[in-house]
Parts: sequence; structure tokens; C-alpha cells
Amino acid sequence: MTTPAAPTALIADDEPLLREVLVGLLALQWPELRVVAQARNGLEAIEQFEALKPDVCFLDIHMPGSTGIEVAQRIGGRAHVVFITAFDHYALEAFEQGALDYLVKPLQAARLTGTLARLRERLRTQQPVVNSEALLAQLAASLQPREPAAAPLRWIRASVGATVRLIPVDDIDYLKSDEKYTLVAWRGDGGKQGEAFIRTPLKALVEQLDPARFQQIHRSVVVNLNAISHVTRGDNETADVYFKHRSEVLPVSRTFLHLFKAE
Amino acid sequence: MPVVELIFYVASTPAGAPPFWRVPTRAGSFGALTFLGMLVSSWVAMTALMRERDESTKRAERARGELERQALDARLRLLQAQVEPHFLFNTLANVQALVDVGSPRASPVLASLVSYLRAAVPRLSEPVNRLSQELEMARAYLALMQMRLPDRLEFSVQADAGLERLRCPPTTLLTLVENAVRHGIDPSLDGGRIDVSVQLRGERCLAQVRDTGVGIAPGSGGLGTGLSTLRERLQLAFAGDADLRLSEVLPHGVLAEVEFPAQT
Repeated sequence: MTTPAAPTALIADDEPLLREVLVGLLALQWPELRVVAQARNGLEAIEQFEALKPDVCFLDIHMPGSTGIEVAQRIGGRAHVVFITAFDHYALEAFEQGALDYLVKPLQAARLTGTLARLRERLRTQQPVVNSEALLAQLAASLQPREPAAAPLRWIRASVGATVRLIPVDDIDYLKSDEKYTLVAWRGDGGKQGEAFIRTPLKALVEQLDPARFQQIHRSVVVNLNAISHVTRGDNETADVYFKHRSEVLPVSRTFLHLFKAE
Repeated sequence: MPVVELIFYVASTPAGAPPFWRVPTRAGSFGALTFLGMLVSSWVAMTALMRERDESTKRAERARGELERQALDARLRLLQAQVEPHFLFNTLANVQALVDVGSPRASPVLASLVSYLRAAVPRLSEPVNRLSQELEMARAYLALMQMRLPDRLEFSVQADAGLERLRCPPTTLLTLVENAVRHGIDPSLDGGRIDVSVQLRGERCLAQVRDTGVGIAPGSGGLGTGLSTLRERLQLAFAGDADLRLSEVLPHGVLAEVEFPAQT
């Protein structure tokens, strides 16, 4: 990266207003810097970077297509990266721990001054970039747990007639595997009993449900504990589950019987 | 009770003495005690029953108090949510930055924010929230979002004539619209449309918010607390006679529907 007389920059953010503000602030605070590219998403950012090889890249963390971190990883050591992040407790914590440059939305002129001074110094003295692979991986990891992928499922997509409904898991009475499909017995519109089918096998579904709320009672049946009205125990190690809003009675298999033993 | 008494009388008879029912004074007192016992026990039973009834009234009162407290809580939280300081702060800071760099867009953004606030600030003079307010707020919010994402968001808001006076819990439409922006349009490369419509269906009011955003990824926990709390609020406001439904829009997107009794 040789530093020509006029350093160049790329701005990537999905909000045009923010790009406009940043372009304006840069013109005021760093008039020599030429903004050569503006990208609306991560994919455009990578494309434009490869085409124009700017010295500095301002990358919004949350962009559709490809995140700012992913773009930075593609850019590697070829440019100085400054991240732009929304005001967010977790993101700020992640940045404060690391050495990466970042700006917080909404952008403030005063905060920009310090960051730009550091960047200029680095360009002038031809220092290597701080956005190392290790730091980026660390940042990606610290922002990861915020993605709710591991959180229990809250809605289930299921076909009801011709439409695909999103059924809140709270409204499910029980789930039952039925050869190819899983039957979802739920309280639909106005609390009326509804039945829907989904392709996800019961076993895969159970793994995504909140174990404190959903309990398997049979090889092929999982019930919502909140939907149970009572359980009766019969002779011979049997038990039946009754629901608050349904007339069906479901048997508990021997394997799960211990769950319904009185204390 | 008489049984215990009998045992007591038999046991207290000294050895060698005739059984108590042969002794006139003792037999008399036995009779009197038995009668008294009957009276006392039924009285005890009665007070127990009364106490039980009292208890259940108190329980009901406590439950009602709890409900009232919850309603008040919800109202307070709502006041905060409706004006959402965070959103307000962000938009104002954006306006300031636009002014700083001399952008001609500062003024239209500020104008949109003002109309949003006008719609969002609760009207204390109105005893209930009306659909007209909800529509205004949804429109103003979408207009602001369109300034944020001009190349990625188109929208329409329409309602059947004469629905403006209908009762509608505060931020019902706004919650659905916010969800559509946040989970449908924001993550989408190409953006999409958000269409809001409110119709009268017989005795009921049907509000629909349809977006053509990315839709819901399988297994995503994304569509979260906003919608769950809206459900609760609707249930509270219409004593359980309201529905919130979500379904998929093809090829991608979400249709969120709220249905509730049309009341003024």
C-alpha cells in the first residue's frame, strides 16, 4: 500500500443518509481524502474494494448480504478498516476490548476527529493495518452470542390448508409424529382447536424447543406442559395426559412415567 | 363429637361404680353436653364455611388488584414505548449531523420526525386510543423509515372509511409495522414493500400488515418479544376476543394480521 498524495476511501452502509453524513463530515475534517466508492451492502463493498483498492474502508457492521466483519475479512491487510456500529451495548463492549477502529451511529463530529487523526498518522508513517485476522475473528466471536440462533424456537412454520402459518409455540398443545410429517395440535384463531402439519421430524423439533416447557411423554408425542390440565395414573404403570382445551387423552409411555410421579 | 364425649364419660366412671347412664345426674349432664356439642360443632362448621367464602373473596380481590397493577404497568411501559426515547434520540442525532454537513435532507427528515411525534405522543384528553391515531402513527413511522431506506422501502397505508373512531390498543399497528421493517426489510438486499390495510369484516376489524421482505428463516427466534407482548395487550384489551396471526407471503415476506371486535 503506497500512499499517494491523496488517500482514497470506501464507505459501505445500507443507509444513504448515513453515507451522506459521513461523506460530509469527511469533507470537513479530512479534505484531502477522496471518497471513491459508496456501497449499499456487503457484496457491493467487496466488489468496489477489489475494483478500486482504496486505502481506508468505513464499513457498517450490520448490512444486508454480507456483514462489515465479513467484508473486512475479505479485505484482509489491504486497507485500514473503520467499523461503523449502531449504538448497542454488546457491540460497544466488544469494540472497547479490542484495538479496532470504530465509529458509533449516529455519527458525531467530535468522535470522528480522533479516529481520523489516528488513521492519518498510520497512513503517513505507513504502519501496518490494525485490523488483523485475529482481531477480526475475536470481534466476530464476541458479537456472535447475540445472534439468537441458539435460543429456543418461538414460532413454528406450518401449513394450514393452503397458507403457511407461523404458530407461536406457546399456543401448541402437543406435537405428534405421523409417518412423514409432524402433527401440530394448537389453539388457533380465537382459541379454537387447530391442526397443522410440518415436515420437520419431531426429533429435530424437540431439540429446538424450550425443554422447560415441552416434554416428551411418548416416543412419538411431545406435550406443552402449560397446556396440560391434569394427569391420571392408572394401574399397571400407565398414565394419561388430559389437556385444558382439548378432549384428546394421550398415554404416557413407561419410559417417561417417572416424570409424573407425585413428589 | 358425641362419640368422644361418650368415651370420656365411660373412661371417667370409677371402677365398681354403676355405668353413668344409670346415674341420673350424670345421664342428664351427658344429654346436655351432647346437645351443646351438636350446637357448637355446627356453629364451628358454619364459621369455617364463612371463613372459606371470605378467603375466596379476598383471593378474588387480590387477583383483581394484581390485574389492575398489571394494566397500569402495561400502560406505563406503553407510554415509554410509544415515544421510544432511543429512536427519538437517534433520529434527532441524524438530523443534527445532516445540518452539520449542510445537507438539504435535514429539513424533510425533521418534518417527518415531527409528524411521527405528533401521532405518537399519547392524547390524554381521549379516554381510549382510536384507530385513526394508529393509522397516523404507522404512516408517519413508515415515512421516516423511507427516509432511512429510500431505495429499499415502499409502502402504502389504507383503511376503510368510517373506521377511524374504532377502539384500538395503542401501538398495535406500529408494532406490526416495526416488525416488518426490522425483520423483513432491513436484512433484505433489495428491500421490499410494506402494505398496511384495515377493513371492517362484519362485526370485526381486520388489520393487515404485509411485507415482501426476507420472511422468516426457519428456526430463527427473531420474531420476538414485540409480537408476544402485543398479543398479551390485545388479550387484555378485548378480554381474550382478539387474534394475532402470522403467515408467509410468497415468494417471500410475512403477513401479520390482527383481528378484534369493532367497538367505538
